[in-house]
Amino acid sequence: MELRSYIIRRLLLLIPVLFGVTLFIFGITMLFSPVQRASLYITDPKQLVDLPTIIQMYGLDKPFFVQYGTWLGQVLRGNLGWSEAGSMPVADAIWHSLPATLELAIFATPLIIFLGIFLGTKAAANKDKPLDHGTRVMAILGWSLPTFWLGLLLMMFFYGFLNWFPPGRLTDQMQILVDSAAFIRYTHINTIDAILNLNGPVLLDALRHLVLPVITLSVTHVAFIMRLMRSSMLESLGKGYVLTARAKGLDERVVVNRHARRNALIPVITVSGYVFAGLASGAVITETIFSYKGIGWWAWQAAVRLDIPSILGFALFSGVLFVFINLVVDILYTRVDPRVRLGGGLQ
Amino acid sequence: MEDLVKIRDLTVRFYTYEGVVHAIDDLDLDIRQGETLGIVGETGSGKTMTALAILRLIPYPGRIESGSIAFFDRSLPDELELLKLSEDRMRSIRGCKISMVFQEPGAALNPVFTIGDQISEVFLLHQRQELGRQAKQRIDSLLGNGSSLSASLRRPFWRWQRRLYNKIAQEPRPFEPRLISHLPFFRRLLWRLKDEAGLLTVNMLKDVEIPDPARVAAHYPHELSGGMKQRAVIAMALACSPELLIADEPTTSLDVTIQAQMLELFRRIKVDKGASVLYITHNLGVAAEICDRVAVMYAGRLCEVAGVEEIFLHPLHPYTKALLDAVPKPGKELQTIPGALADAFNPPPGCRFHPRCLSAMPTCQQERAKLKEVSKDHMVACHLF
Amino acid sequence: MSDWRFTARQLVKNPLSLIGLVIIVIFIIIAIFAPLIAPTPAGHLHPYMIPRDGYFAEPQPPSEKHILGTTQGQYDIFYGVVWGTRTAFHVALVVMSITVLIGIVLGSLAGYFGGVLDEVIMRITDIFLAFPALILAMAIVAGIGPSLKSIMIALSVVWWPSYARLIRGDILQVREEDYVEASRGLGASSPRVIIRHVLPNAIYPTLIMASLDIGMVVLSAAGLSFLGLGTPEGYADWGQMTEFARNWMVGPPGDPFKYWYAVITPGLFILFFVLGWNLLGDAFRDIFDPRLARR
Repeated sequence: MELRSYIIRRLLLLIPVLFGVTLFIFGITMLFSPVQRASLYITDPKQLVDLPTIIQMYGLDKPFFVQYGTWLGQVLRGNLGWSEAGSMPVADAIWHSLPATLELAIFATPLIIFLGIFLGTKAAANKDKPLDHGTRVMAILGWSLPTFWLGLLLMMFFYGFLNWFPPGRLTDQMQILVDSAAFIRYTHINTIDAILNLNGPVLLDALRHLVLPVITLSVTHVAFIMRLMRSSMLESLGKGYVLTARAKGLDERVVVNRHARRNALIPVITVSGYVFAGLASGAVITETIFSYKGIGWWAWQAAVRLDIPSILGFALFSGVLFVFINLVVDILYTRVDPRVRLGGGLQ
Repeated sequence: MEDLVKIRDLTVRFYTYEGVVHAIDDLDLDIRQGETLGIVGETGSGKTMTALAILRLIPYPGRIESGSIAFFDRSLPDELELLKLSEDRMRSIRGCKISMVFQEPGAALNPVFTIGDQISEVFLLHQRQELGRQAKQRIDSLLGNGSSLSASLRRPFWRWQRRLYNKIAQEPRPFEPRLISHLPFFRRLLWRLKDEAGLLTVNMLKDVEIPDPARVAAHYPHELSGGMKQRAVIAMALACSPELLIADEPTTSLDVTIQAQMLELFRRIKVDKGASVLYITHNLGVAAEICDRVAVMYAGRLCEVAGVEEIFLHPLHPYTKALLDAVPKPGKELQTIPGALADAFNPPPGCRFHPRCLSAMPTCQQERAKLKEVSKDHMVACHLF
Repeated sequence: MSDWRFTARQLVKNPLSLIGLVIIVIFIIIAIFAPLIAPTPAGHLHPYMIPRDGYFAEPQPPSEKHILGTTQGQYDIFYGVVWGTRTAFHVALVVMSITVLIGIVLGSLAGYFGGVLDEVIMRITDIFLAFPALILAMAIVAGIGPSLKSIMIALSVVWWPSYARLIRGDILQVREEDYVEASRGLGASSPRVIIRHVLPNAIYPTLIMASLDIGMVVLSAAGLSFLGLGTPEGYADWGQMTEFARNWMVGPPGDPFKYWYAVITPGLFILFFVLGWNLLGDAFRDIFDPRLARR
C-alpha cells in the first residue's frame, strides 16, 4: 500500500521535471529557422517543398506556447520529425537503434557491478596493503583514460593485430542470416534473439563483437564503482555491528561478507542503477568507435550532420529514459535498505 | 570464591600516527565465579580496552604487548591461556563462553538484518549440534506420525533429512552438511536449523522481558526503541549461557527510567544464570547498585579493588576518594578533581595520578605504586600504604 | 593558515599526489613555453592551427623534421600536442570559472534562503541533470555550431548543476553552525553573512574539488572534439588529433601498428594530463574525507 502511493507520488513529481525537459528542448529549437523547425513535424521529406503549408498546418508562426503545445502533442503521438541523416522518421531511428544500446548496457552493467564490488571489497579488506594501493592506482588510471583512446588501442591490438574482435554488431554473413526470414526477431537484441532461435553461430558472433565495446565501456565505470565500494566498505567495517559480529565469534570472512558488505552494498547498488541508466541512454563514444549502431551512434551521426530534429529527438528520448530509470532505481532503493522501507514499526 | 578470569601483567599499547598510547599498563585483575565485578573510571582509563583484551578484539593499531589472561572454563579441567589460544579456539569462546554487550545498542545491531536473525546467528554458530539434534527429533516425530498419503510420499526425503541433521548433531565438522551450506541454492535445505534457532531466539527474547517476542524478532533494529534494542543485544550475549558477560556501559545511552529497568534485568541475570558479569561504567551509582566488587582504574592502571560496600565506605586510594567526593550531593558545593586527565601519549612518570593528587609525596613522582592487599580483600596501589 | 601547510605537507608525503603534482607542473611549463618548445613557423598566421607539411593523407613516422611524426593530413604531431596543452588549459579554466561562478551564486541563493527560491533552483538543476551529459553537450554544440567556443559553453551548461547542488549542500551544513547564528544575532545583513562567514567555510573543500575536476573537463572536451564537434580542422587540440588517427589505427596487413605514433601520442598526452589532476584530486579527497584517512 505504502509503496504504491510512494510510486504515484514520485510519478507526479516527475511531471514538472518532464515538462521542464521538454520545454528546454523546445526552447532550443526556437533558435533555429522555420525550415529547420519544419523538419520537426513532417514525416516525409517531400513535404518540405511546400513550406507555407507546413507553417500553416503546424502553426509555426503562432506564439511560443501555442507552438509548444502543438509540438508536445506531436511528440506524444510519436512523431519526432524527419531525420535527414537517417532518411527515416526520427522516431523510427530511435526505435531501431535502441536494442543495440540496450544490448551493450545489459552486458556491461553486470560486469561493472561484479568487478567493481569484488575489487572494492578486496581493497577495503586489505587497506593500506599493496593490493589496496594497486587497485587505487588502477582506479585512477581507469577514470583518467579517455574512452575513445582506449577503444582505439584495443581495436588496434585485438582487431588490427589479432583479428579476434571486429567492430560492428555482426559480421556481414551473420547479418544477412539475421535479417532473413529464417531468423525470428523477438527483441532485436542479437544475443537474446540468438538464444531464442537456438542459433549458436549467431550467438557467438554477436558475443565476439560485444567484447571490445563492453570492455571499453566498463573500464571507467568499474574504476568508479570500485572506489565507491571501497570507501563504503571501510565505513561499514568501522561500524559497531562489525565489532559485535566479531564478539559473537564469527569468522572474519563471514563478518566481512555477510555483515559489512551487505551494508556497504546499499549506496553501491543505487549508483549502479544510475550507471545502467546512463549506459541505456546512449554510450556515444564507444558506439561511435566500434560502429555499434545504437542510440549513441545515431546521436553522433545527427550531431555531426547538424540534423536538428534527430539530435533533439535523441536528447529528449535520452532525457526521459534517464529520468524514468532513475525513478526505478530510487524505488529499488527502498527495497534494498530496510531503514527506508515504507511502513510502520513498533515501539 | 574461585577465580573465573585471572589477568596478570597485561599491557596494551596503541601505535598511532601521533605517538604510542599506553592504554593498559601492567594490569592485574581477577574476576571470580558468579560475581559482578564493576570497573569504574573516566574515559581513557582503559576499562573498555580491558574488556576487549579479554576477548582479544583489540583493534588496530593496538597490540597486546604482554601479560596473561587465564580463563577457567567450568566444563574443562584445565585453565585456558586466552592470549595464547589459536584464533579458531578463541572464536569458539567469543559469543559462547565469554560475550559482550556494548554501549550503543543502535550501533551494535546490524540495520539490514532482523533482530531474530542476528540472535539466531549466535545459536547457529555455537550450538549447531544441539540444533541438529532438535531437528532430528522433530523429523523423528514426523516419521512416526505420518500415515497419510502425502506423508508416505515424503518419507524418503524426510529420512535423508534425518540423516543429514543427525550428522550435524553427532560430528563437530560433518562433510555433507558443510558442503551443502556452501552452495548458494541448496543452503536452504538446512532450514530446519534456522527454525530451531528461531525457537531458541524467541525464548531468549522472552527471558530478557521483551513483550511479544515472536513479533519483535521479525522486526529490524531501527523499528525498536533504545531499551528494546539493548535488551535484544543482551539476549544475543546471553544466548549460549556464557560464563562471563562483559557489559560496557550498557545503560549510558538510555534514559534514566529505562536504565532502572536494565539494572533490574542485570540483577535477575545474575541470579538466574549464575554467570559472572564484568560491568564497566563511569557511573558510581550504578556500580553501587549491582556490583559485588568494584575496581577503579585510572590511565590504564588499577588503583583500587574491593567489595562494593568496603570501597564506598572506606575508599583508600586518593583517586577513589576524589571520585566519590565528585558525586553531586544536594546542598553541598560541587567538588571537582583538580588538573586534567593524564595525557595519553606522555603520561606522568611514576604514579599516573600524582599531578592531581592532594596527598602526593616525592616518591609518587618517581616510582609506580604496586598493588597491595591492605585489608581483607581490599587492594590498593598507592604509596600511602 | 596552518591548514594550508598541513595540506601541502600531506600532499608531498603521498607518492601518488607527488607524481600528480609533478605531472601538472610539467604541463604548465609546456603550456607557458609552448612558443619556445614548438615555435610557430615564419609566415604561419594562426599559432593554434597546426602547420601542415603538404596535403598527403597518410601519416608519416617520426623523423628529423617532425620529431613525433605527422598525423593525417601531414599535421605535425609534436606541434599539435604542445600547443594542445594550451588549448586544454584554456578550455578547462574557462569552463571551471563559469561553472563555479554560476554554481556559487545559484547554490548559495538556494542553500541560504531556502524556501521557494531553493525549490525553483533545485527543479532547474533537476531538468539539466535529467539529460545524459554527453548527449546534452552534443545537442548544444550542434545547435550553436561546432567550435571551441561552443564546446566551452556546452560543458559549462552541463557541469554547473552539479556544482550548484554541491555548494548548496555545503551551505546548508554551514548555515546551521553557531557562528552564523551569532553573526545574525549581532545584526549582520544577509549578504554580509553569506560572503564573510558562510561562504568561505562552506566552499573551501568544494573549490578544491572543482579545481581538480579540471582533468575531467579536458577529458570531456577531448571527447567532443574526437566526435568532430569541436575545433575546426587542424586546430591544436588533443581530441581532434586522436580523431585523425582513427582512420589509421589499423595499418596495412603485415604491419598493423604502422601508424602507432599517430594513435598513441595525442591520447597519451590526454591520459597524463587527466591523470595528474586526478592523482592530486584523489589525495585531496583523502585529506578532506575524515572517514577514510587517518591511522
